[in-house]
Amino acid sequence: MEAIVKTAGLKKYYGRGEALVKALDGVDLEIERGKFTAIIGTSGSGKSTLLHMLGGLDVPSEGSVRIGKQELSELTNEQATIFRRKQIGFIFQNYNLIPVLTVWENILFPIALDGRKADKEFIMEIVQLLGLESKLDSLPNNLSGGQQQRVAIARALAAKPSIILADEPTGNLDSRTSDDVIGLLKVLNRQFHQTIVMITHNPDIAARADRVIRIEDGKIVD
Amino acid sequence: MNFNPISVLKKRVFQQNKGRNLVAALAIILTTLMFTTLFVLSRSMYKNLIEMTFRQTGYDAQVSFKNITEEQADKIASHPEVMEVGQSTVIGLGQGKALSGRQVEIRFADEIYAAHSFAKPTTGRMPQTMDEIALDDIVLDKLGIPKELGQRVTLPWIAEYTEAEARVSEFTLCGFWEGNESSYASMAWVSREFADDVVAELEEKGARGSTVVTEKAEDANEKAAVATTEISSRIAGLHMAQVTLYRDRDIEGTMDRILEDTGLTGVEYSVNLAYDPDMNRMASQESLPVYLGMFLVFVAGYLIIYNIFQISVTADIQFYGKLKTLGMTVRQLKKLVYGQAGRLCLLGIPAGLLLGYLLGMVLVPVWIQMDDASASNSPLIFIGSAAFAGITVLISCMRPARMAGKVSPIEALRYHDVQRGGRAAKRHSGSASLPALAWSNLGRNRKRTVTVICSLTLGLTLMSVFYAKNAAFDMEKYLEALTLSDFQIDETTSEDYLRGYDPHGDTLNTELTARVEALKGLTGIGCVYSHETQIALNEQTIANLQGFYTDEVLADWASYDPTGPESVQTTVDEKSAGAVVYGLDGIALDAYVTAEHMLAGNYDEAQFATGNYVIAAGLAMEKKDGQILPTVSVGDTVEIEGQVYTVMAVLDNFNVITEGAKEGGLESENKDRHYLEFIVPFKTFRVCWPENTPRKLFFNVEDAYLDAAQEMLDRYSAVTGENLSLTTRAGIARQYDRETRSSAVMGNAVSIVIALVGVLNFINSVVTSIVSRRKEFAMMQSVGMTKSQLCKLLVYEGLDYAWITLTCTYAVSSLAVGVGVRAMVEGGFTKFRFTLLPLTVCTPLLLLFAVLVPYLCFRNVEKDSLVERLRSAS
Repeated sequence: MEAIVKTAGLKKYYGRGEALVKALDGVDLEIERGKFTAIIGTSGSGKSTLLHMLGGLDVPSEGSVRIGKQELSELTNEQATIFRRKQIGFIFQNYNLIPVLTVWENILFPIALDGRKADKEFIMEIVQLLGLESKLDSLPNNLSGGQQQRVAIARALAAKPSIILADEPTGNLDSRTSDDVIGLLKVLNRQFHQTIVMITHNPDIAARADRVIRIEDGKIVD
Repeated sequence: MNFNPISVLKKRVFQQNKGRNLVAALAIILTTLMFTTLFVLSRSMYKNLIEMTFRQTGYDAQVSFKNITEEQADKIASHPEVMEVGQSTVIGLGQGKALSGRQVEIRFADEIYAAHSFAKPTTGRMPQTMDEIALDDIVLDKLGIPKELGQRVTLPWIAEYTEAEARVSEFTLCGFWEGNESSYASMAWVSREFADDVVAELEEKGARGSTVVTEKAEDANEKAAVATTEISSRIAGLHMAQVTLYRDRDIEGTMDRILEDTGLTGVEYSVNLAYDPDMNRMASQESLPVYLGMFLVFVAGYLIIYNIFQISVTADIQFYGKLKTLGMTVRQLKKLVYGQAGRLCLLGIPAGLLLGYLLGMVLVPVWIQMDDASASNSPLIFIGSAAFAGITVLISCMRPARMAGKVSPIEALRYHDVQRGGRAAKRHSGSASLPALAWSNLGRNRKRTVTVICSLTLGLTLMSVFYAKNAAFDMEKYLEALTLSDFQIDETTSEDYLRGYDPHGDTLNTELTARVEALKGLTGIGCVYSHETQIALNEQTIANLQGFYTDEVLADWASYDPTGPESVQTTVDEKSAGAVVYGLDGIALDAYVTAEHMLAGNYDEAQFATGNYVIAAGLAMEKKDGQILPTVSVGDTVEIEGQVYTVMAVLDNFNVITEGAKEGGLESENKDRHYLEFIVPFKTFRVCWPENTPRKLFFNVEDAYLDAAQEMLDRYSAVTGENLSLTTRAGIARQYDRETRSSAVMGNAVSIVIALVGVLNFINSVVTSIVSRRKEFAMMQSVGMTKSQLCKLLVYEGLDYAWITLTCTYAVSSLAVGVGVRAMVEGGFTKFRFTLLPLTVCTPLLLLFAVLVPYLCFRNVEKDSLVERLRSAS
């Protein structure tokens, strides 16, 4: 299987001298296309930093990140933004929906920003799968947490990204809703062969992934 | 269901922030309003200046010919570059006591000429038959004729200056119009028939005049030139034309081309002063305070709009970060911010334009000291103001937009309303008192604090400066320079620069002076007599003149009046000068021979009274050590009409006494000579020239009798039908107030609006800083801060703002008033006084605001429960 994500010697240091924090300290990682991968670690282990690096949101102190054939460090800020909206779908713990846009508009947002035409059939398929048909004209604030996260998932998927990065997607949800969301992610992973990388601190949730990567003190431990 | 995310977001985000938008729209409205008002004022100033010049020159065509034949004028009229030509023939000048003080020109003219001379009958029509006449209402009023067509008009007039007896003609009024007070003369239109008759009659009498030229147009150019020199005594027959061109640009070039094309090269013409390029320059100079005002408005507008946008972007920074993680590019983010600004402009600018134009219309008559000044409605005003306001908003948004664009998606997730970097790490430990906490809160967003303080300081300082500048004016000083007494009456011919002053005039006859002398409460009286003659100059005086009028001085003089240097040259060459001899008595003499007016020598009353002395006067210069005075030297002798006097002193110019026409007016025998002025003792004057009547009469009465004196003069005018040339101290003071009210209103209006903008800025900042910290306050309350403590904290913050602002304002204003205003008002009729009165008035107001705004705002926040606030916002 080919690797869709590849990092080499990835380091991220903050501060200097005594206050030096090694958030990431030499991460070499390969993630295969079409797999559902979980990154697990305790708070402060560096898992969020790693996800930000993979998504091109943050710049490493050292090392490289390659998504598909694109080396992220070669991109300018603006190019990284454009790459992100084409190739990467994000799912955040706090959903990050835009409160003034309807559900439908939120889902379409990254595609519209890119000036692309949306593949409506595909999107409606996702919407149906996620059970959001009746909510398309609602504003996010009128939805429950689980529903909001499902909108975020639809949005991440809509642009047909190379990879979806999910940052504690169930962090704000109760356990039953969490189960639903993870179940949905798994379905999407299967049905659309969508590569998913998910961060979590919960071993039960991580256990449902195809592969679990453990990170401690900025290093991968197996 | 495709949608454009940027425009949808623009719209929805805009709708969400109603309160904030209201403040921003208000700021834009105020800024646009000020720009528009200032534009209206400057454009109206220009427009009215041009119109006033039209009225002063008496016509609004581009070019006029003062002496041209009808045939020549017709030739010019047929040129393709000429729109139209109006023609007129002068017949004579109105005479008689009733018309005193107003030149009335009896003429024939075609409709075009009348229309371009602001003298086309608005009621009735131009004359067509021998006995018809059209007059303006100024002349009708002077003649006491009701404004009705068909009225009989009896008009005394002369066709030649040399005519001893005025002719008297009877006419019927066939038309009238509103007279042009700014012009030097009124027109009295008669029919062509009448004009031809008079000209023919004069010709028969053998009088040579321009009519001769009319008939022999072959060598018209030479004859026209001859006619100009010969015309001196004749009035009738002078033919004039006004040319209206299609284009205003390069009038002289066009005119020269037209003359060349028509073979009339050399015919003299003059370009209307209103089209002179200098007018533009003058208008821009008059508009200088407007430009300064615009700059200040720009600064004030920038300070508040920038602050509002900065606050908005800061408040929404997490939102922008979110958009960026979802793939919004920097360009798209900036577009979003500018889009908000654009929407606000769409609301604010039209409203500002409208309100500003209305305000401008109200202020124009106040600001522009001309009769019937009207507001310009040139589209330039609206385009310009909208552009200026738009640019201000754009510039104000630039930094906030860049900030929104630069937001890093990760940091945005952690962002709070605190400026990062800088000296944040330095925290003094120890006291956690409320004042200390408030103080450090102010430092959390230093940029905003500075913006608000600058904005308030600017407004308050401007207010102080304008106030101090106006307060520096010294009315007494001004009145002293312009008047000498409560009342001044001039001989009617004293100001007749055309025909000259008549030293035997009868305005100030014995009856009038007796009445004045009999006035109750009279505290002082004095009069001026004058006599004109010629004197021979000795070597010393010639040397003085040459020493003073160096080539440099003469060249400078020639640049605006070429006849001046020529007259000095003639005087030096011929060693003789024109002389005006004054006899002064009473308060007129007392007011002039003071130390302030003394340039050289000393006045000794007893010696002067002997009649052996003379005082040289009327030098328009300031006292300086070691300067050469261009007149006779002190101690020297001068012979005036056979009497030899010793020069006692030299005085500067005191316009109140020396102002007036020369005897003989334009035809004075000394018109080519330089004049020297002298004062001889009153008794001596009366002995030498016993026939002369007083030229000016000055008198003071006690304040309680001012009205009675005025009434007496009014009664006298009414009974004798004499239009007294009266100047009163009260009238001048009133006039000054009228003339300066405008700039005072302007200055105060600008500074008040700018101060308002500052207050708005302050309120906006306090409100947002409180609203954006709702959660933080809830947190503080949850760990034990009481409501009253929190309220106190906010009030302390407000007070901190206030005292920093006040400190800055007092410092900057003291400097601006003490140095700037002091330098600005130096000289002139001012007495500098250091004052910060507006600040003293505003200080309690500002403190009140500083307490009230946070308090009210806090009350508003308190409405939500603690838990609600803790949970609110992500």
